[in-house]
Amino acid sequence: MASGYIVNRGVLTFGIHYQHVCRNVLLTQTREKKRWMKAYTLLMERKLKIEGPPPPKPRAQKPNWDYHAEVQAFSSRLKESFSPELLKTAFVNPCYIQSEQERRQALGVDSEMAALVLGDNIQLHRQGLEFTKSFLSDWCRASFPSLPSMGVVAIVAHLTSHPVVCHVARNLAIEDLTMSAQFPVPDEILHSTFLAVIGALQESSGAERAGLFLRDFLVTQLVGKDLFEMWSVVNPMGLLVEELSKRNMALPEPRLTRSAGASTVLPLYFVGLYSDKKLLAEAPGETILAAEEEAARVALRKLYGYTENRRPCDFSAAEQPRAPGLQSFSSS
Amino acid sequence: MTSRGTPSRFLQSVLQNGVGRYVCQLKRISLIFSKNGQSSLGAREFIEEGVVDFAQNNPGTVVYVSPQSCRIPKIVAEYLNGNVKEEAITSKTSQQIVELITKLTNQSGLDIIRIRKPVHTDSPSIQGQWHPFTNRPLSIGPIGPQKQQAN
Repeated sequence: MASGYIVNRGVLTFGIHYQHVCRNVLLTQTREKKRWMKAYTLLMERKLKIEGPPPPKPRAQKPNWDYHAEVQAFSSRLKESFSPELLKTAFVNPCYIQSEQERRQALGVDSEMAALVLGDNIQLHRQGLEFTKSFLSDWCRASFPSLPSMGVVAIVAHLTSHPVVCHVARNLAIEDLTMSAQFPVPDEILHSTFLAVIGALQESSGAERAGLFLRDFLVTQLVGKDLFEMWSVVNPMGLLVEELSKRNMALPEPRLTRSAGASTVLPLYFVGLYSDKKLLAEAPGETILAAEEEAARVALRKLYGYTENRRPCDFSAAEQPRAPGLQSFSSS
Repeated sequence: MTSRGTPSRFLQSVLQNGVGRYVCQLKRISLIFSKNGQSSLGAREFIEEGVVDFAQNNPGTVVYVSPQSCRIPKIVAEYLNGNVKEEAITSKTSQQIVELITKLTNQSGLDIIRIRKPVHTDSPSIQGQWHPFTNRPLSIGPIGPQKQQAN
């Protein structure tokens, strides 16, 4: 281990190598086998096992960090032109302002000398939330016209829920740029920061660009997800009866179509739902009731157009899907 | 070690990257080099000639250049999914460093481990997954070989 020693230059010392760090500091090293090293490493490992790993530090407190450059890179990476002040305001959370003011008071800094001139992101958060909900509902209604409003509400609630939004925010490096009192940034605060960024984008570049941003980052989280994972329906058969009566079709009649292994530990029953003698959907299950419920779900998926083999949503269009009848023009 | 002993993952992208717009996954690259060491010669040449062009061509990546007294010059690349990759550029020429940096820019931050399948799909079946009851006539009784219809 290197340590600073004051060396008596009159004495000849063998085996110690000196390195001048500056005029008054001299580091000594020995190249031989360090017999204290093993005991030291074992002690450190024992200490690590008792105390656990050190707490994570925010990226801003590690070396190589330039906030302004990071914010600029954030906006060019996403190919969006944010107004810098709005974007920086979007990252500032009220808890951060509070903790900063408390810190300054605790340090005894005069509040007039070093005033904290930072706006927080509550207004942008509210705007962003409103815009996100309305855009997502419009998108859902346009892509799945036969989905009832309860389904649209469920899909929008899933897409704006904390797990999904925080997953997107973490993978877009929003957590690095967020200014908040705690680290790791709690889900609630990350969620509101993401929505504030959407609000900032809407104010800087307009509703269309913000809509495209939401489509490219939030709506893509629907890829691979099933309708009833997001929308919990307790009575699918009742819902199916309602839907069929709305469309003036006959009520569904369940019939056992196939069965295998009825007296074994793993029986298999296929139940088909027939409306006016025509097959709506067929599904398997371990018991006849389970198969009937699953068949009702499959029938609902077919009616709402949310099957696994539906035509994929078009993400390449440079504009949002518009209702038929309006003229669509390409935006640059 | 065999593939069972080493980690592996499925083919995936970070946040469905290409589906909407493409986002370059490299968010930060730090060049740590020494001002006087011979192993950092290539790094110093790269900083003289190539780093500014690289930074201009990739506006979404922040480039940090930090001269320190170090024995091995390094490139530390940080990706959007949180992974940090360190590569030593000891005694590499400026050209090799350029190639290395291009490679790092084109990677997503996912681990470089064995990929179990070279394909991935979210809709594996269009006409419906085959199961033993497909294309068989409906029957509730015991299942046996289908009787050939008399022509």
